[in-house]
Amino acid sequence: MHGSAVVVGVGESTYYKRGGATESEFRLACIAIRNAVADAGLELSDVDGFTSYMDRNEPVRLSAALGVGELNFTAQTFGGGGNGAAAAVSIADAAISAGYAECIVVFRALAQGQFHRYGQAGRARRARGRSAYTSPYGMLSAAQICAMQTMRYMHEHGIGQDALAEVVLACFEHAQRNPRAIRYGTPLTREEYHASRWIAEPFHLYDCCPENDGAAAIVVTTPERARDLAKTPVAIVAAAHGLEHRDGVAAFNEPRFPTAHHRHVGEVLWQRAGVKPADIPVAQFYENFTGPVLMAIAEMGFCEPGELNDFVADGNIRWPDGRLPINTSGGNLGEAYIHGFGNVVEAVRQIRAESTCQVAGAELSLSVSGPGFAPGSAVLFGKL
Amino acid sequence: MGVLPDDWTLPDVTPINKAWFTSGQLAVQVCARCGARQHPPEEVCHACGGFEFSTETFSPKGTVYSYTIAHYPVNRALAASVPYAVVLVSLDEAPDVRVIGNVTDVPVEEIHIGMPVQAVWDERTAEDGQVIRLVQWQPA
Repeated sequence: MHGSAVVVGVGESTYYKRGGATESEFRLACIAIRNAVADAGLELSDVDGFTSYMDRNEPVRLSAALGVGELNFTAQTFGGGGNGAAAAVSIADAAISAGYAECIVVFRALAQGQFHRYGQAGRARRARGRSAYTSPYGMLSAAQICAMQTMRYMHEHGIGQDALAEVVLACFEHAQRNPRAIRYGTPLTREEYHASRWIAEPFHLYDCCPENDGAAAIVVTTPERARDLAKTPVAIVAAAHGLEHRDGVAAFNEPRFPTAHHRHVGEVLWQRAGVKPADIPVAQFYENFTGPVLMAIAEMGFCEPGELNDFVADGNIRWPDGRLPINTSGGNLGEAYIHGFGNVVEAVRQIRAESTCQVAGAELSLSVSGPGFAPGSAVLFGKL
Repeated sequence: MGVLPDDWTLPDVTPINKAWFTSGQLAVQVCARCGARQHPPEEVCHACGGFEFSTETFSPKGTVYSYTIAHYPVNRALAASVPYAVVLVSLDEAPDVRVIGNVTDVPVEEIHIGMPVQAVWDERTAEDGQVIRLVQWQPA
């Protein structure tokens, strides 16, 4: 049931609100990678590969800066958005398993203070490609795209605004225990959620991921290499990355609209892992926005869409007593928005029993990436 | 006529999307070989792989399938336009074809899923003199 590669290190930079970082994005990447390699008890000269998604910090530059000796493997995923996070782990798993590299750093660095803000859009005289159908109508941001999906999903399945609120409140509550979290010390009430301004209906301000600066990384290697390292290795039990025919077709003309693009990913993941959703004690669901989280919970098989109101209510997705605590670090909403890679790091921490909202005895730990944008991806970690 | 500034972004017109963006009709791409329709128009037929296309024109009536109300202007030039609605309209004669647009002539709070709407065209002249006809929607 286990894949051939293991995670032996995790690390991150300090997380900042947008513009709060004193370091450049490239330096943040180097800091996260150094921390992850040190956590593993490895040297930077042991690293021989990098994988990521949508990242502009190229391994050529990273290798030189970090003192990486011989580079044997680099790759990024296709596709827009944070849906590449778990996929980038699967690429590292595949490369290690195939013997193309022995020690791969999977990372994402994102400084929205230094570079463009994800919540803003430029103004083009002409819109090309798929945006030709959206930009002329003022549909320009990921929030607006996911709002269009979520509005229909809520209508079809009778999902209330409070279900969206539950995702936010779980993230903020969990962030109160995590000193790394930007929202540490800043709790949120249900009333504050509902009173917050609209961004794009049905999303209030707090339904939307923040714009942050930071970087996060994990180190993947072989079980043999892991044997004498500092930390207990974490198995990459299974990963999946893909879509169904015509998922992601432009301008919301997908046959299965609205979808988080995780039905196929879920089916493949559970088949590869040999386990089922009911076996999963803790999960991280990428929150670009709350609506896609709900869609992904259902599409990954945890409940039917019509059961979502109840599935997330009454503390069911909160640590420590919920039946499926999600986003136990605070997630993108509460910890930091590093394009969802913090959700991968946290999933590893749950298996190492190092989370600040540790689910006792967690032997499996799921991270689901980038709902709302195709192709979706997910990775399941476990004890070796 | 639109709800956005008169000089807001226009689509880049290509051989593939020209009928959709300039004809002033709901001219949906149809594969000349297998008859499959697809929207938005694409380079290759998703059903048979064909490269040759014609169009089929549908009546300008539809139903709001989903929508969002944009309250936050993601570009400064839209600050005076918010809140504005972006709707996804399912065509009554071809429900699998969903068309994005804005809704004119109605307060945004009255927009809802299931609302019957009628297509109208916003005629704009691009910087190169090309005439573009953007579909928009108003209550039926």
